[in-house]
Amino acid sequence: MDNIFTNRFEKSLAKVTLKLQRLLFYKIAQKTLFMIFPFVLIGSFLRIIQVVILSKDGFIGILLPSFEDNWFINSIIGVTNNLSNLTLGFVSVLATFGAAKYTAKHFERDDQLAGLTSMVSLLIISYIYSKSQPLSFHNNLLGIRGALFAILLGLLVGWIFKKTSPAIPKNPQKNFTSNILQRTFISLRPIVIVLILAALFSALVNVAYYSHLPDEFMDSLAANYQSGNDAIELLKIIGIAIYTIIMSFLGWSGPYSPIDVEKSDPNILDNLYYALTNHTAWGAPHQFTSNSLYHAFATFGGAGSTLALIIAIFIVSHDKDFQTVAKWTMIPSVFNINSGIMTGIPVMFNIVFLIPFILAPLVSLLIAAGAIYLRFMPPTVYPIPSGTPGPLIAFIGTNGSFQALFFAIIDLIISVYIYIPFVKLAEKLKKIDNLAIEEGDFDD
Amino acid sequence: MTNKKNFKYLVFLALFLVILGIPSYLWNKNSVKTMAGRYNSPMSPIIMIPGSSASANRFDNLVKTVNSQYGERHSLLKLTVHTNDKITYSGTIRTGDTRPFIVVGFQNNKDGYDNIKKQARWFNIAFDQLKQRYRFNNFNAFGHSNGGLIWTYYLEHYFNDDTIDVNQMLTVGSPYNFEEKDPNKRTQMLNDFIKHQDKLPADLTYYSIAGTKLYTDDGIVPLGSVDSGKYIFEGVIKHYTLITLTGNKAEHSDMISNSQFVTLFHQYMIGNNKNGQNQPPNKNPR
Repeated sequence: MDNIFTNRFEKSLAKVTLKLQRLLFYKIAQKTLFMIFPFVLIGSFLRIIQVVILSKDGFIGILLPSFEDNWFINSIIGVTNNLSNLTLGFVSVLATFGAAKYTAKHFERDDQLAGLTSMVSLLIISYIYSKSQPLSFHNNLLGIRGALFAILLGLLVGWIFKKTSPAIPKNPQKNFTSNILQRTFISLRPIVIVLILAALFSALVNVAYYSHLPDEFMDSLAANYQSGNDAIELLKIIGIAIYTIIMSFLGWSGPYSPIDVEKSDPNILDNLYYALTNHTAWGAPHQFTSNSLYHAFATFGGAGSTLALIIAIFIVSHDKDFQTVAKWTMIPSVFNINSGIMTGIPVMFNIVFLIPFILAPLVSLLIAAGAIYLRFMPPTVYPIPSGTPGPLIAFIGTNGSFQALFFAIIDLIISVYIYIPFVKLAEKLKKIDNLAIEEGDFDD
Repeated sequence: MTNKKNFKYLVFLALFLVILGIPSYLWNKNSVKTMAGRYNSPMSPIIMIPGSSASANRFDNLVKTVNSQYGERHSLLKLTVHTNDKITYSGTIRTGDTRPFIVVGFQNNKDGYDNIKKQARWFNIAFDQLKQRYRFNNFNAFGHSNGGLIWTYYLEHYFNDDTIDVNQMLTVGSPYNFEEKDPNKRTQMLNDFIKHQDKLPADLTYYSIAGTKLYTDDGIVPLGSVDSGKYIFEGVIKHYTLITLTGNKAEHSDMISNSQFVTLFHQYMIGNNKNGQNQPPNKNPR
């Protein structure tokens, strides 16, 4: 197996990955991500319709005539919202089911009931205590951004099942009903314990507050420490960008949204004001803003420049699975909706891709900063419709500067080259995995 | 190295971007042109003025209630204008928040017509700073008690509607005739307000809420005094609406924690703005 890897770096990264893959959390997270992938994929296509086409400040929506009072279109919007909210927006509930199910199975406990219990407990935790809206939930915990929490919760529920209930009997009783009843009473104790814990947690902890807390902190950092000094601004943007990228790698949220760009940052408004009065983006007072650097150059296909990953797969990959996922997630990724590729490859929690996931956006961002600093291109100052394809953001946000388009393409090419070796490595690791499964090393 | 089968996807990707790029580039050129003329800022704050003897912290609970009850995340920025025209800030506006609450309180928060004039001048200083700092060009106005009087004085004497729009105004228990019950006995202030009514922005929509118990007053402000607002606003602005709130917590100071009031507040102050966008949970579904 040693001869597959070409250099020492590859080898050590492979070693770490293989070690991690033996962890229970890692196995369960991977399986769970595969399980939710179809829903994420369908959801991302619906998101395109919802955000890019039907929303009035969506990338395609702005080109369409207004249909505010059209009953038919409004019905379509309603149905799309419904479906998108209950696929992509509900994916953590499915994930926690999977995580709890796989954990319980690993410990030889009742996996179906563990999964269902975990689902219900996640809903209990994210329940909004409101008199005006019965049965409503904190939706940031239920979508893809709550994936980490959901998987951890599933693991916890599976573990509670292990601790507080006996193993399911190997020889089921013949009578179907008594079989079911037997299973129910074996698992009743962990179910009650989990539900009580979830209810206590939701009543005592202000979930909305804590789930927003890190963002709240980063947001206020982003919004308040506006510095006149470009170097400090640049450092701040890099810091927040790295934080956002890592958080989205872990299935959590970050301050920079991939689909929408900032609108109320004072520096950005200052730039817009300047550009509107002087009819040019050149010479805008704040060269480095999150729009001019992060959103325009570091989000090709969403956080982590995953569009570059897709292109890299098309160029070098011989793996059928990778290619299929890349084909299916290509269109949503064009509109910066990367949940599909995050769960399909999967990129999320996949240590092999952590390095390019951070490096590709970071290098692009620094090249862009250099180009703006040396006045090779103007900063992105104009508002951009939501879901504008990553490589076009700079072009459109500078009102058609070809220099900006040129640098966006350069950045995209560099990002692809950063991803290529890691795609190759991931492929090799996958082969080892497949061998391991054939040898029976990989349980169920 | 490249396998030919995948090459077509790369070509497709490139073509897709070009096809998408051209129309949106043309659209954007156009939209920038329009924006240079006049554009609606994405931020449309809700600017609030507390009543006499209240500080900028007066609405903390109201904001908390609105955020938790409607599952929204509006940030809260509080300004205090000191008697020497200096302004202190507390709280922040979260990045991306298009409907933040901004409270402007005054160090000298005493009652009386003379003081209202001073406070309106202080408010003007704060407002100019806010406008400069956050670059919004439309907002909603909210005033509790004397806060409504400060708004009215400000709108008549300082406000310039060529560059900025006030979308909606909502006041609670604003005594346009002070403690005077009889609308025929007009105070100096009411007379002045009526005299300058033509300066009020003609496209303003104004909702005035009066609380009553036992048909007459809210414990402090007589119903007739709030109702006198009609002499100032009716026929001058676009819409003037008087709402009477009764029942539990309809007293002058309690009113802003009344659940009826919170519903009205959300409906008129947050539910709609110029850009027609509602804040999360659903991002701008059309």
